[in-house]
Parts: sequence; C-alpha cells; structure tokens
Amino acid sequence: MRPPHNAPLTRLLTTALALLAHLPRPAQAVFRDEVGHTDYHHQLLGLPLRETTFFHRPRRDDRASLLYTLSDVGVVGAVNPGSGEVVWRQDAYLSPSSLLGGGGGAKGEEEREEEEEEGKEAGWGRFLRAGEGEGWVVSAFGRAVHAWDAVSGRSRFWVPLDGVVRDLEVMEMTESGPGRKDVLVLVEERGGASVLKRLSAEDGCVVWEWRELTRDLPLQVSTNVEKVFVVSLKGAPGAYNLKVSVLDTLTGRKLDEMVVGAKADVHGKEDVMFVGANSAAPIVAWTDDARTTLRVNVLGTKARQEFALPADTVAVEIHAPHLVQSDPHFLVHSRTATGHRGEVFHVDLKTNAVSKAYALPLLPGPGAFSTSSNGANVYFTRITDDEVILLSSQSHGVLARWPLKTGDSKASAVHAVSEVIKRAGAEDSYAVRAAAVTDADDWMLIRNGEAAWTRPEGMTGGVAATFAEIPESEDLARSLEQEAHSNPLEAYIHRVKRHIHDLQYLPAWLNAIPARVMSSILGTDVRSTAGKLERDSFGFHKLVVLATRRGMLYGLDVANNGRIVWKKRAFPIPKGRNWDVKGIQAHDSTGQVTILGSNDDVIVLQSDTGDIIEAKAPSRDATTQATALVDTSSGQHLIRIGRGGKIGELPVDRAPRQTVVTRGAEGELKGIVFVPNGNSSYESVSWTFSPPKGQRIVHIATRPAHDAVASIGRVLGDRRVKYKYLNPNTLVLAAINDETHVLTVYLLDTVSGQVLSAAKHDGVDSTKPIECAMAENWFVCTFFGQYALHDNSAQAVKGYQMVVSDLYESDEPNNRGPLGSAATASSSLEPLDVPTADGGVVRPAVVSQAYILSAPVSALQVTTTRQGITARQVLAYLPEAHGIAGLPRVVLEPRRPVGRDPTAAEAEEGLLRYQPAVEIDPKSVVTHERDVLGVRRIVTAPAVVESTCLVFAYGLVDIFGTRVAPSFLFDILGKGFSKATLVGTVLALLGGVLLLAPVVRRKQINMRWQAPM
Amino acid sequence: MPVWAAELKNPPAHKSKQASIPDLPGFPSFAVLKDAKEPKAAQRKPPTPDEMDTWKLKKVWEVALGPIKSLPMTAIMMYMSGNSLQIFSIMMVYMAFKNPIMGILGTNQAFERFETDSNRAKIFQLVALALGIWKVNSMGLLPTTRSDWLAWETQREAVEHAVPGL
Repeated sequence: MRPPHNAPLTRLLTTALALLAHLPRPAQAVFRDEVGHTDYHHQLLGLPLRETTFFHRPRRDDRASLLYTLSDVGVVGAVNPGSGEVVWRQDAYLSPSSLLGGGGGAKGEEEREEEEEEGKEAGWGRFLRAGEGEGWVVSAFGRAVHAWDAVSGRSRFWVPLDGVVRDLEVMEMTESGPGRKDVLVLVEERGGASVLKRLSAEDGCVVWEWRELTRDLPLQVSTNVEKVFVVSLKGAPGAYNLKVSVLDTLTGRKLDEMVVGAKADVHGKEDVMFVGANSAAPIVAWTDDARTTLRVNVLGTKARQEFALPADTVAVEIHAPHLVQSDPHFLVHSRTATGHRGEVFHVDLKTNAVSKAYALPLLPGPGAFSTSSNGANVYFTRITDDEVILLSSQSHGVLARWPLKTGDSKASAVHAVSEVIKRAGAEDSYAVRAAAVTDADDWMLIRNGEAAWTRPEGMTGGVAATFAEIPESEDLARSLEQEAHSNPLEAYIHRVKRHIHDLQYLPAWLNAIPARVMSSILGTDVRSTAGKLERDSFGFHKLVVLATRRGMLYGLDVANNGRIVWKKRAFPIPKGRNWDVKGIQAHDSTGQVTILGSNDDVIVLQSDTGDIIEAKAPSRDATTQATALVDTSSGQHLIRIGRGGKIGELPVDRAPRQTVVTRGAEGELKGIVFVPNGNSSYESVSWTFSPPKGQRIVHIATRPAHDAVASIGRVLGDRRVKYKYLNPNTLVLAAINDETHVLTVYLLDTVSGQVLSAAKHDGVDSTKPIECAMAENWFVCTFFGQYALHDNSAQAVKGYQMVVSDLYESDEPNNRGPLGSAATASSSLEPLDVPTADGGVVRPAVVSQAYILSAPVSALQVTTTRQGITARQVLAYLPEAHGIAGLPRVVLEPRRPVGRDPTAAEAEEGLLRYQPAVEIDPKSVVTHERDVLGVRRIVTAPAVVESTCLVFAYGLVDIFGTRVAPSFLFDILGKGFSKATLVGTVLALLGGVLLLAPVVRRKQINMRWQAPM
Repeated sequence: MPVWAAELKNPPAHKSKQASIPDLPGFPSFAVLKDAKEPKAAQRKPPTPDEMDTWKLKKVWEVALGPIKSLPMTAIMMYMSGNSLQIFSIMMVYMAFKNPIMGILGTNQAFERFETDSNRAKIFQLVALALGIWKVNSMGLLPTTRSDWLAWETQREAVEHAVPGL
C-alpha cells in the first residue's frame, strides 16, 4: 500500500476514505459475474410501423422466418418470432456527412434530433422491403438506401442519394431468369426533380435512372411484372391530380403518361392511401378530404372507380398482398371514432374492373387487419379487442377464430402483421401468428389468440427520466415527527405504545431470519427483496420513472434488472407529434412524481404504482420553455418558465427565493429575481448575458442538484492545500462562432451574471456535438477541433477533444484567495468600474488541460455519490461504439505535469505524466459487451453506500442502467467474498476446539500429578 | 616427634577451595583472621561524606547516561525502518515514546537511592523523546501542515442562490 498523503492521528475517518479513494487505481472493469446483476439493458427497436414490418424467410430453402421491421426511431432489425429476441439490429439512419466521408464518423445525437425534426416536416418516409426468397432486406430512411444481410444483419451496400427517398420497391425481374430481384428507389431531389433509380441488388450500382424535371411531387412507385409505374401529384397544393408515368423495366424509358381522375381530385399527399405493390394488378387508391368516397384506379388504366365509405369514417387503410402470384384482392379497413369495419374487393385481371366482394361487420375498437399470402391464397387476419379472426379473401366465411388472451394487461391492437400456415393433412386447420402493435406501445406476438411475447418497444423515444425512492409507509416518519413535537412524557408514552404495536411484526420477522441468513450466506446477494418493492440498506433499490415522446410513462425497478413495474399512458399524443416534457421531479417524501410538459400539461403520479393523481391534458400551443425547481416559502416547487423566459406574477408564497436563470427571447441568458409587491411577486430581470455578436450558445452545463463536496481543498504532495473554488452559483456556457469556428467557453456567476472566466478554442467544428459537464470545482467540455499549435504552427492538432478545467480559489497553495477566511460569499450586482481589479469580482484561478479522445462522446454526465468522497468519473455515450464509457477524473486531470515526469511530491499526489491522447479503455466502458443504441441522456443518482452511483441511460432507442463504483466497492463485500468459507472456517475451528479441549485438559491434569523423572 | 603429632599441634593454614563459602566459626582459619583483624580494620575505614558524594554523583551520572547509550541504536533502527506506516515502524514509534515516558515517570524512583536531586538526568530522556517525535513527524503523523487542519475549515456559504431553468 502507498503511504497516505497525510494522516494525523486525529484525522476523521471520512477524510481517510477520501484519500483512499483518490489514490491512483488500475482501470475499472465490469466483472463477468456482475453482468446482468448490477446492470440491465432493454434491447429495443422502436415502435414498428405498419408498412415496414413483415415476416420474411431469410433463407430460400428454410421454412423458418424472421420478423423484420424498420421502426419509427429508424432502427432496422430482425426479431425471432418464437422468442421475441433480437437477432440483429442496425441504425438505419445515416447522415449525409458520414456517408460522404466528411470528417468521418456519425453525427451527434443532437444533430440527428434536429435533422429528424426537419425530416418530419419534409415528410421523410421510412421504407423496408424484402424480395421474396432473397437473403437480404433493403431499407431507406432519409437520404440513403441501405441493404442488409437478412440473417446476420451485415451491411451489403449503401447508396447515398442527393435527395429524400420517397419510395422504395423490390422489383421482380424477368430478363435474367428467376431469382434476380432489383431495387427501385424514387428520390425527390433538392431541385425538385423526381428521379427513379434501379439499383442492382448485388452491389447497389445503378442499372438505369429515369429523371423528370417537373414540379410534381413524386409519391410512390409500383410495378407489375412488365412495367414500372411512378405515381406523382401534379398541380397546386390543395388541388392535385394523380399522374402515373409508365416506364419500361429494362431500360427505364418512359412508355406512357396519364393523369388519372378528375381535376383537383386529391387534396394532399396523405389522401393517397395506397399504391399496390408487386401484385398482379397494382392499384392506386385515394379518398377525398372528408373520407366519404374511396377512389380506386388499376395502374396502367385510365378508369377510376368510386366506392362509398361507411359514414363517420375517420381513417382508411388498405391491405393487399405483395406477391405477384397472389390473387389481386384487397381489403379496405375503415375506422370510425368507436369502431372499425372491413370491406374486401377483387380486381378482375382481364377487365381491370374492381368489384366489392364482401363486407365485414362493424366491431368496436380500433381493430387491426393484416394480410398474409400463401401461393395464390390471400388471408386476412382481423384482431379485435377480444378475438383473432382468420378470413379468406375469397369469401366471407370465417376460417378460424380464437379468443384473444393477452394476459392480465388489457391491450388492443393498433396494427399488425401476420403469417398464416395451413396445416397439412387436416383440411380446415390453420395456425396464425400475428405481431401486433398495441395501444400501450407494446409489440406483441399473438399465436393463435394467445400472447407469446411482448416487447416494450414504447420505451424508445425517452424524453425525460428521473430516479425516485421507493415510497416507504409514511407511518414511521409521521410518528417520529409527532414524537419530536410533543412533550417528553407524551413522546415517551407514544414511543412505548408504538413499540408494543410493533411487536405484532416480531413473529414474521423471526420467521424471516433463517431465510435471510441463508440468502446472506449462500447468495451473497442484496436482492433479498426480489419482486417486492422495498428499499434496501445499500440504497440500490430505486425506481426510475421514464416519459417517452409518445406520451407513455414507465416505472422501472432498478434493482431487479430494470423490470417494468407499471406502464401508463399519460396523454394520447397525436401521430406525428411529440410529448415535450420540460421538467420531471420526484418527491421522495410523498412518493409522487410531477411531470410538466411544454403545452401547459401536467401530470402527477404515484411512483410505485403509476396511479395518476392529477392530470391536465396538453393544450394546442406550446407555452412552456423550461421549468425550474425553486425554493419558496411554501416549500420546493417546479415552476414553469414561459416562452421568452417570462414567468409572470406569482403569489408571494410561491415566488422563488433564488435567482432563476433562463434563456430569453433572443437566446440570451438572463437571471430573474422576484420582488414581492403586496400579495403577489413580480419578476424582474437582474442580469442578462448575451454572447458577443456572431456567437451562438450551443450548450449550458450546471452543477448537478446533488453535488456533495467532501473536502474543500486538494492536498498537494508537500501537504500544502490548494483550495477549491466552490461556488454553487456557477454555470458553464459554450458559445460558438460559426464563421470563425472559435468556441468560447464561459464560466458565469448565476447570481450576478458576471463572467468569471472565459477560454477560447480555435478550429472547432460547429456541426459536431459540443457538450459540457460540471461538478464540484471543475468542468469538462468536448468538441471536435482542428488547429495549428500556437508555439509551433507546423504542428496541428485534430480530433475529438476534451478540455478539463479546475477552479481554485488562488494560484498559491495555502491561500484562500481574496475572501480569505470569510464564512460567506456574496455575488454583488453592483456595477464595477474595473471588473478585473482586486476586490471587484472574486475570480477563480483556472487550470486547464486538453486531451484528445480516441472516439467522439456525447451525453456527458458526472457520477455523484452520497458524500462526494469517492473519485469522480465522467460518463459519456460513445455514439460510434454504442457504449457508455466512464472516464476517470484521475486521467482527466489538468494538473498533470507536461513534458516531464512527475516529481516525488506530484507522484504522491497521484499525478501522472501528461499524455495528450486518452484512449478509451475497453475496461472503462461500463456497458462492456452490450450494444447500447441511441442514448441521448444519462442520469445519475447516489446510493446510500458511498462507493456507488446509480446510472440510467435512455434516449432514442435503448434503456440501460447500471451501478458504477469509481473507487471500487470499498464499503461492500464483493461477490468474491465467500461467506460460506468464512462461516465454515469458524465452525471448523469451533469443532476443533470442542474436540481437543477434553484431551488437553486431561493431559494438563496428568502433568500435575506425575512426578518429573 | 612424629609428623602427625606436630601437625596436630600446629595445624597448617586451611586453603579454602571456594572463597564464597565462609569457614565455620571455630575453624582454624578464624583464629588466623581474628589475629589479623586489627590491621584490616584500619585499612577499610568508612568513607568520608565527601567521598560518598563524589561516589554517588558518579553513580547518578552512570544511571542518567543509561538511556543515551541506547540512543544511537534507536536512531539507526528508526532510520532503517523507513517512513511508511507498517507494523514494524509503528512498533518502533510506540517503543520510542513508551521508553522515555516511562523513564521520565520513573526518574524519582531511579534516583531516590542517591538523594541528591539532579534534573539534568531528565534531559536525556527528553532527547530520546525528541527522537521519537522527529520520527513521528517524518512519518507525517504530526498535524504541522495546513492540510492537517483542512477538515476543520468550512466551506464558504453563498449568501444568494440561483437555480437553472434552461
């Protein structure tokens, strides 16, 4: 062991621990037996979309099929329909810059978010297709087409496109024998041109390209065996016509062009319901704006047929088989506000006439239809709220019917895909498995009416999460409070009564002792409360409340592998819109969680059961810009901050006592204080910080809410002290100038708005993520930078950097700075003539150092422990490696000696020689072998034991949680400690003593009585 | 006259084999000693009080210098044991403190035989103690630096507070 830096006999235990914790350590690692015990991972895909989900056989000669999907969060993946396990998954999103090799590497999650928003407005589609009997699937999302191996999920090829993909189709080929299938992709280019490309399925090279420079909106592409049809909208918004261009499959030459239907037939893009793909007679179907008539055209003809839709129809979907050999039948699924019905139509291949075959009765609920074809036979599976019904497209006779059993949770299917197997032998025996997305955002496989597995895909798209303590029965707290407030005699009587009352639990407690002892000896496990929601003495057992953008809320049990304790729909969020959660707060005393949304919505719920206590649905307009957790005279409240940073008048008892820091209308930062005026308080701007002209604020970091500081100074090797600058009212603000590419990092005092320190970084790429994190007396910022060194311009630095800065009260050791030994610090709002003069602003002494990371990082978060004794780690998501790394603070240390070996004193302090490059050690990756996709935020919470910090990561796709111990588990016996051996040894020794005692006693007595010879 | 008669009359002087065992009273050697008593008594006259004082002082110095004889040995051992916190050095330090302190406490007892009090004797124990303190200091166990009092220094309280609402 190394000598501690200083240890007078009078040292407190905590300080000794602190020293222990700050000793340099070998790299952390997750031990194999901890995997799945301390951490949990929900490997998710996202909510499958109706058009991009299907069963597909990845091998032509193998009957086993996999379930493929491209989800609403842009993940393409395959799921084993038998078990519900993910076989493979890939991020279908590829940004143009990463594809075209600009700078290399994926874009930041934040940028992806922005681009996704843009994509949503531009109506980006998501497409996933597979060729029947082919071993690949092809996806398109955004500006690229990507083909994947269907079995392994490996990339076969990708093609970047100069425009947005409008449709993707797999084309059956005739020219080069059977088996060859190519990919058709319809692109709307930036200039407004519609381009149809035929890509070879082997390597993605372009076979032919058809280009048309009109202002038409390309809509969809379809093909029968002989021709390719491109359907586009012609005309002005609100009054479009459908235009069908007929192309030759071999050359892509335009053969014909026709305008279908009457003038101004189509109101908008969303009115065109369906363009039948690859069936023998592809159709295009559209409705009017009011959903009263359905118009159908068989592609290649000019005729348009009209069918009346049932009254009160609000939504129409069309289900048709995708195979050429299937019968050209289709089903129109119309939804009313309360129920749904279906109508089956047949297309006559000779006359191209569409006729209604039969209608299915109106049933309550949204209902889900799905199509499955087997040779020429087409089956429709209807999933209602209580039944699964199998129908043939030929006649309305029900082939099979099963009652729907979804276990204890009631769920109704919203849309589904199905696979129908006609059992050999028995004539009328069918087996159906349907993968349905339910209204609770689950993906459920229903096998013959019974739920086989359920995947909680709704947990993707997380927007806010918080740790919450498991609520304890409040009786104890309340009675203790009562005892504290009554006179001693009464309190004593009350306590005796309480203890007598507690005696009734004694037998149960005594009964539980053997089990507890056994589990403690054998299991070496803290999970003695498995399945029960009960706090444990280590503080590992907590709840996480997660809110998703689709309006779902989840309660996860952190100690039991992230088990979903409850799920609730907070609000029905309309399709295409997001629940924008601005604030989430867990009240540990009451066990309630408050969530504030941007649209004036609020929901209060019980954290252990998910029972909604209070809810106010979102209004139409976004009114809230942010929230702040403030102290008022009536306790702690989460208050709303309106747009432009306006809070408005508040009653005196709800007015915050602190300065509220928020963004103004122009993006500037401002501090707001409340001035009491009678019964109400009005807001007053105390300071404003606008970054210099040309600079744009990209990130703001504040100290975490729980940021315990164990020691106010750092002990140097010679036992002098460098005092930390511990100002709770500071924030770090990163602002970039897009033209000069200079990043300026400001340290602001949040009470006075005074700039305490500023640092400039040259050559920063503003399109790459720039993030900061702050804790205690230091902060880190990460960005991509490229610049020549100041002292040697021949040498250039390029890479993902992490700049770490320490703040001290003075440059000198043993010096507490200008304030000396003053017990309080105050930030003056008075104007200063010379702000840099002494006595003006107490500015910290900043020590900074830059490191180059081996990988881009995002979602920075700092670990936090109960007393702050344990060393810190900077947790960061690795967007390219799909993991979360824990970078130790010892490595990211600005005081590491540069260009020389550390002196003995520095070495004693634990400083290593400065190395500019920080390799992300695989051992420091807390997600180890897990592939964690799409993390956007990491939240941390302290456990009761000092060594451990709870971590929860969520975001676009996956959910991951673990416990980290940056200074190792110094206060808990590890799993390697065998209690059984210990108890066994003690018992063996006891047995030995008991056996030998009589022998020894006899020998001693004999010795006394026998004369020495 | 036969030899035996002559020896009986004038027996030869007894040669005691062991000097520590005194001859019994009435043994012939006694008679000889008795004869020689007068000149011996004149030789061993009791020392004068002056002589006694010098002799006592000599003795006192001997006792007082006792601890200093072990000092070089202790110093070397302390030097060799290093400044790390190990069981050996901890025991060394314990002994380095225990011996002088016990010595100081036992000073009066050690010197009461000699009655003349001499405080100088304690100095040597203090030197030994100082050696122990030097050792403890070099081991970093004395609260002599700023960092040792860090735990009693308090964090500055901020008068105003701010909350982020970003």
